[in-house]
Amino acid sequence: MEQVSVSPNAALIEKTKRRELAAAKRKRLKAIVFGLTGVAGFLLLWYAVVWFEWIDSRLIVYPHEVFQTLASKFYDKSFDGSLLPVHIASSLIVAVCGFLMAVCVGVPLGLLMGWYQPFDRFVRPVFEVIRPIPPISWIPIMIIFLGIGLQAKTVIIFFAAFIPSLINSYTGIKLTNPVFINVAKTCGASKWRTFLRVGVPSALPMAFAGMRISLGNAWGTLVAAEMLAANKGLGFMILMGRTYLRVDVIIGGMLVIGLIGVLFAVGFDWVEHKVIKWGKKQ
Amino acid sequence: MKVSVRFIIKRIIYYILPALSIFLLLLMWTAVAESQKTIPNPFEVFERFKRLQDRPISNTGIIGHIWASLQRVLKALGISILLGIPFGLLIGWSESFRYLFKPLFEIFRPIPAIAWIPLVSIWFGVGEASKITIVFLGAVMPIVVNTYTGVSMVPKLLTDAAKSFGASHGQLLTDIVLPSSLQAIFAGIKTALGIGWMVVLAAEMISAKSGLGFLIIRGSDSDDIALTMVSMVFIGVIGALLSTVCNLLERRICPWTNE
Repeated sequence: MEQVSVSPNAALIEKTKRRELAAAKRKRLKAIVFGLTGVAGFLLLWYAVVWFEWIDSRLIVYPHEVFQTLASKFYDKSFDGSLLPVHIASSLIVAVCGFLMAVCVGVPLGLLMGWYQPFDRFVRPVFEVIRPIPPISWIPIMIIFLGIGLQAKTVIIFFAAFIPSLINSYTGIKLTNPVFINVAKTCGASKWRTFLRVGVPSALPMAFAGMRISLGNAWGTLVAAEMLAANKGLGFMILMGRTYLRVDVIIGGMLVIGLIGVLFAVGFDWVEHKVIKWGKKQ
Repeated sequence: MKVSVRFIIKRIIYYILPALSIFLLLLMWTAVAESQKTIPNPFEVFERFKRLQDRPISNTGIIGHIWASLQRVLKALGISILLGIPFGLLIGWSESFRYLFKPLFEIFRPIPAIAWIPLVSIWFGVGEASKITIVFLGAVMPIVVNTYTGVSMVPKLLTDAAKSFGASHGQLLTDIVLPSSLQAIFAGIKTALGIGWMVVLAAEMISAKSGLGFLIIRGSDSDDIALTMVSMVFIGVIGALLSTVCNLLERRICPWTNE
């Protein structure tokens, strides 16, 4: 009797499970097919635009020409004086230096401001004065101080990147569960120890969210900085493309900029996953 | 008694610290200006501001330049709202639409708005249209992303309840999905405004005949750093004002936002 009542149930569960799996599979297939259709449709439209000359043929190129140009930029340093890898390396160095500086300054500053109120009262006004000024507008002044080399751009990137890091670390440590702090105090932890062992770990997930924004800001601002003052780098390359009316170089450069932005985000996720194993919402 | 005296002293320190830090900032600025002859001190910057009132640049005073930048941002923001919210709703709402357009959108999204400047200026010239397009490209991304996120985070309980009471597709959209994602959408608009304000400056610094970004570059080109600094101050003030206005609006439009 028991056997009879269980087995149809088990069969039913098995069946539903299989059906759900099939549905999920169909969904994935649909996603892939539709996604490819969307991208292919866009490329088709692009080809059509060039083929029927809906846009002046000097102002647009075929998609495949963009990739050809990108490939040729690996050995041909015509018109802007550097190979593509050199541009990429130059941009990467500035972005990463600025970003690391911003994290090293912004996160501790934010943590201290959030933890220790007099410090907050002292630093916050200066921060609030600087915050609304977009980092790009510092460029002329930085050029006066530091020229158009690596340093000036790094400082600009620093300005762009340290604000989100600071704000998020600040908010994160402010949101520390007071129960934890009290437990630490009750167990006789010193102030410094409470800060290091309770405050900092509970702020880190949010601090990382801030650093992610910082990284994005750093990369976006870098392009602007290179367009205004540089003789190398991806931003400089696309600006030269504009000067010489080389649409293929511009679009290729934009693709590389976007791609590196994505790689940054993926790499950052990886680091975050390695470092933080607590306090994350599923 | 002792406690209250300590309390008062603490209060005083509490209020003095901010003033002290601003004072130190100005002092540092002046000191730097003394050592570097090219950097004007705060008083010279203020003088330059007063002079700007009498002698306009490119036929407009500072108010005209502020307005030039501001109206570019507002126009672009309007277009981004008109196009971005429906697009975000569609990809959040319809599965087919999401599968079709999300990958394409994800290809465009990581390209910073500023990187569009060369291409857009080739296509649309250096006039207003190209600047508004660039700001639009920067502002539309957060609006789409936030609308999409907001729509996909509507609690299933709510939509199911509405469905079981027989709500039509349209009612579901206007009565359930829009109100519950409004907060996310508004956060997107706020981000968009901040990005827009930054992008418009970059666009104006690279090529323009008016606007605050243009003033910055004019100042640095003509060895008039005081002018650059005046514009920076105004950029900061307007940026801060914009975010304040946004916060006030948010409190009016979606008062259920906590915090």
